[in-house]
Amino acid sequence: MLLAALPALLPAGLLIASNQMLVAALFASAYSLLSGRAGMLSFGHAAYFGIGAFATVHAMNAVGGAGLLPTPLMPLIGAAAGLAVGIVAGWFATQRSGTTFAMITLAIAELLHALAPQLKSLFGGESGISAMRMPAWGLDFGSTTQVYYLTLCWVLLSLALLYFHGLTPAGRLTLALRENGHRLRFLGYNVHGLGVSAFAISAMFSGLAGGLQALSNEAANYAVFDAGVSASVVLNSYIGGVGSFFGPALGAALMSFFGYAVSDITQSWMLYQGVLFVGVMMFAPAGVSGLLGSGSRLFAQRGWKLALPVTLLAVCAALLLSAGGVFIVEMLQRLCSQDYRAMAQAAAKLPTIALFGRAWSPGSVLTWALPVALLVLGAVLALAARRRLGANA
Amino acid sequence: MSSSSILNIRGLRKSFGATEIIRGVDLELRAGEHRALIGPNGAGKSTLFHLISGNLRPTAGEIVFKGQRIDGWSPERINRHGLARSFQITNIFPRLTVFENVRIAVMQRRHVQYNFWRRIEGMRAIREEAEALLERVRLQHRAGTLGGEMSYSEQRSLELAMTLASDPQLILLDEPMAGMSAEETQYTAGLIRELTAGRTLLLVEHDMDVVFSLGDSISVLVYGQVIATGTPDEIRQDASVREAYLGEEHAA
Amino acid sequence: MDAFVFSLLNGLVYGLLLFMVSAGLTLVFGMMGVLNFAHASFYMLGAYFSFALQGLLGFGPAVVVATLLSGLVGVIVERFFLRRVHAHGHAHELLLTFGLSFIIAEAIKLFFGNFPVDYRIPASLDFTAFRIGAQSYPAYRVLMAVVALAMFGALYLLLTRTRIGIIVRAAIHKPRMAQALGHNVQLVFMGVFGVGAALAGLAGAVAGAFYTTNPNMALEVGVMVFVVVVVGGLGSLGGAMLASLLIGVVTSLAVSVDRSLADLLGFVGAQAWAENIGGLMTLKVSSLAATLPFMLMLLILLVRPRGLMGEKN
Repeated sequence: MLLAALPALLPAGLLIASNQMLVAALFASAYSLLSGRAGMLSFGHAAYFGIGAFATVHAMNAVGGAGLLPTPLMPLIGAAAGLAVGIVAGWFATQRSGTTFAMITLAIAELLHALAPQLKSLFGGESGISAMRMPAWGLDFGSTTQVYYLTLCWVLLSLALLYFHGLTPAGRLTLALRENGHRLRFLGYNVHGLGVSAFAISAMFSGLAGGLQALSNEAANYAVFDAGVSASVVLNSYIGGVGSFFGPALGAALMSFFGYAVSDITQSWMLYQGVLFVGVMMFAPAGVSGLLGSGSRLFAQRGWKLALPVTLLAVCAALLLSAGGVFIVEMLQRLCSQDYRAMAQAAAKLPTIALFGRAWSPGSVLTWALPVALLVLGAVLALAARRRLGANA
Repeated sequence: MSSSSILNIRGLRKSFGATEIIRGVDLELRAGEHRALIGPNGAGKSTLFHLISGNLRPTAGEIVFKGQRIDGWSPERINRHGLARSFQITNIFPRLTVFENVRIAVMQRRHVQYNFWRRIEGMRAIREEAEALLERVRLQHRAGTLGGEMSYSEQRSLELAMTLASDPQLILLDEPMAGMSAEETQYTAGLIRELTAGRTLLLVEHDMDVVFSLGDSISVLVYGQVIATGTPDEIRQDASVREAYLGEEHAA
Repeated sequence: MDAFVFSLLNGLVYGLLLFMVSAGLTLVFGMMGVLNFAHASFYMLGAYFSFALQGLLGFGPAVVVATLLSGLVGVIVERFFLRRVHAHGHAHELLLTFGLSFIIAEAIKLFFGNFPVDYRIPASLDFTAFRIGAQSYPAYRVLMAVVALAMFGALYLLLTRTRIGIIVRAAIHKPRMAQALGHNVQLVFMGVFGVGAALAGLAGAVAGAFYTTNPNMALEVGVMVFVVVVVGGLGSLGGAMLASLLIGVVTSLAVSVDRSLADLLGFVGAQAWAENIGGLMTLKVSSLAATLPFMLMLLILLVRPRGLMGEKN
């Protein structure tokens, strides 16, 4: 399960994207400390990420623009802010558990989202607040390369600390909290305090991630409190799989990568993410990392002859299902768009839609039969894979 | 008598809405006493345990433990004061190892719950105490197994170990033999006798053999009230007890 | 004074609307133990279904069909999604409903676009009910209130007076026992879930025409509904009514208060000082109106964690 980080990746445009991937990975790991390890689902984690971002931006602007701390140490401000707000928010939220807890976290984030545009001096209104990175320690921090390495260092350090946390008494208790918080009370523990502690640490690292983003963007905007930001860290973490330490980071990296790669091609990326998430929840609860783990166990325990065909079948099934689904969604997307409707009203019959280099007519049966066929074929292969797996148990 | 009494319950009442479950319970335990609590189903034995251990708040009455009123205290505060309980339905950490289960119970007294700067593997005292406890319940060979994957009676032993980890002066055991075979029951009874020597024990049990072998004295709880307390012989001959246990062969 | 009454009535209507949506949620929670994150999505679906059908069927029938369709979606969600993950635990169910609500919102954006749609009250219902001083009170608001109250009455009677209601309540409190007695508890679950979804859909169909109909509806109302449930107390229909009205009235009255903390401090002569500080001091209550329910929720958590009418746990 070890991911080797590659500092050697260096094409310029992708560097910014890689930066964002790292930040997302850290945010997801911080999030899953609370949701995965402590078992407390938070739907409003953007609050602490955002607070970290804003605190950092203010710190960058402080002292007449010179910055409160040297640039490389700026994320510490984000961490401190996240920690402070996390303690207060956690104190309230952890008084309840389960779904109510989740709703409280969401409400706190929404509170900030509603309040932020009103407090212009703190959050800068519509345009947000901007700052400039100051040179420090002999480097000017003007280039993306330097920012990337700075982000990389902080992310690696934070991940190491988060991993270490799992080895400490506090970390073990976090797991116990998830397993049986009720029993902990009868063993003499102040369960509320334990909850606040886990919450605060998770918020601290989220704030740090926010600070890194603010540092790299040289700006912060209240859109960072949006429910979508909280939602995406949830999706990222669970798609990656909260059962393993690197699962959420992996999920965040994959989703960021795909989001970056396909956001020019399709407007429905969020929908795909949602479908992927629900698919994972229903069929592969351990996430991508869980699948990788089961896959490698399959090869190890059952040997090549069984594992290879099953894996191939499964992969083909996944590709076919995705292709069929994407086709339908993309067609629908274009069919329902404003431009198309205007065209259709002007023309006598339904105009064709250009997709994947060909023109398809929405009226023809073939257009829809193709994706349906892909879906059916994909489903058949998936069932075949499952049967093979079960037959040789 | 009251100078060496470790637990003193006076006029305890508990209602759930209009229904009164505990209807005036008086109970006194001397330090080192092993008392069995018996009674028909629905008498309120588990409710009584919940009240004593802080899981429920009494509607009226008082509970005095080691000279202090603990009614209304939170479960963790009561536990830290020296009272520990086990549960009728096994209440462990199923996806943690047996060793970890015990370690968590042991950690509490070292006050390290907020320690996030030292590896727990490095804390030798905790590790040794946990290992010793596992040995006492004879589970050391299962230390690496996940709690949820053990046999039922092994889980009950684990439950016992966790209850004892806080070195309590008063132990409440809620039907520790529930669901066990005769062999397992005997084994566990021996274990309990060993582990509770020198401590005060309040035990809820249905198996009369266990009751008579583990209990110095017996209290009978019927319909929310203690109708009799005494030595096993006294209880065996008590008319009101026999009446309450219609059809119970062992009371004869 | 007129303005006050106007705001008060608006608040009550909004509160009743919140109740329409939270009632279903409260019932479903009592049954499944998990709050359905996607509940407010049924609200949104109701509005959009009704909008889509309005041209074909006319307003009234569109509302009815939209309600039924929302209920159907609810049944599908329960039968094919929730039931499958029930074994994995509450957290899993919560995440799944979260994912579903996400998908529903994105699907709506796919079909209808990422902007508000022009769903409005038909001209036949767009008249004045009565006047308060110089202002006229729209009949449609009264209609919404009537629908909500009728729903409350119907639910209450259904649950307490009919045989079905007794079975449902039994299934809510003791599902295994109800099953042992021969009732098809699975069907009951599906039915209650569907009814809850339908009620939310009805609320959406009715309210969407008056307020705005956009892909963010579910989130806005959804968060508010959960605030209602926390404030009112989980599982209590009466608590949900009380909390809904409270939140509706407080929000509505606050919007009309054009004063800030600085103005309040004017009473002790500190107005200029406060205005100099700016920030929170000069923030008008009307701007904060949207945040008041959250503050109320946090207050309740501090002072009375079980909610106004919830049971002590």
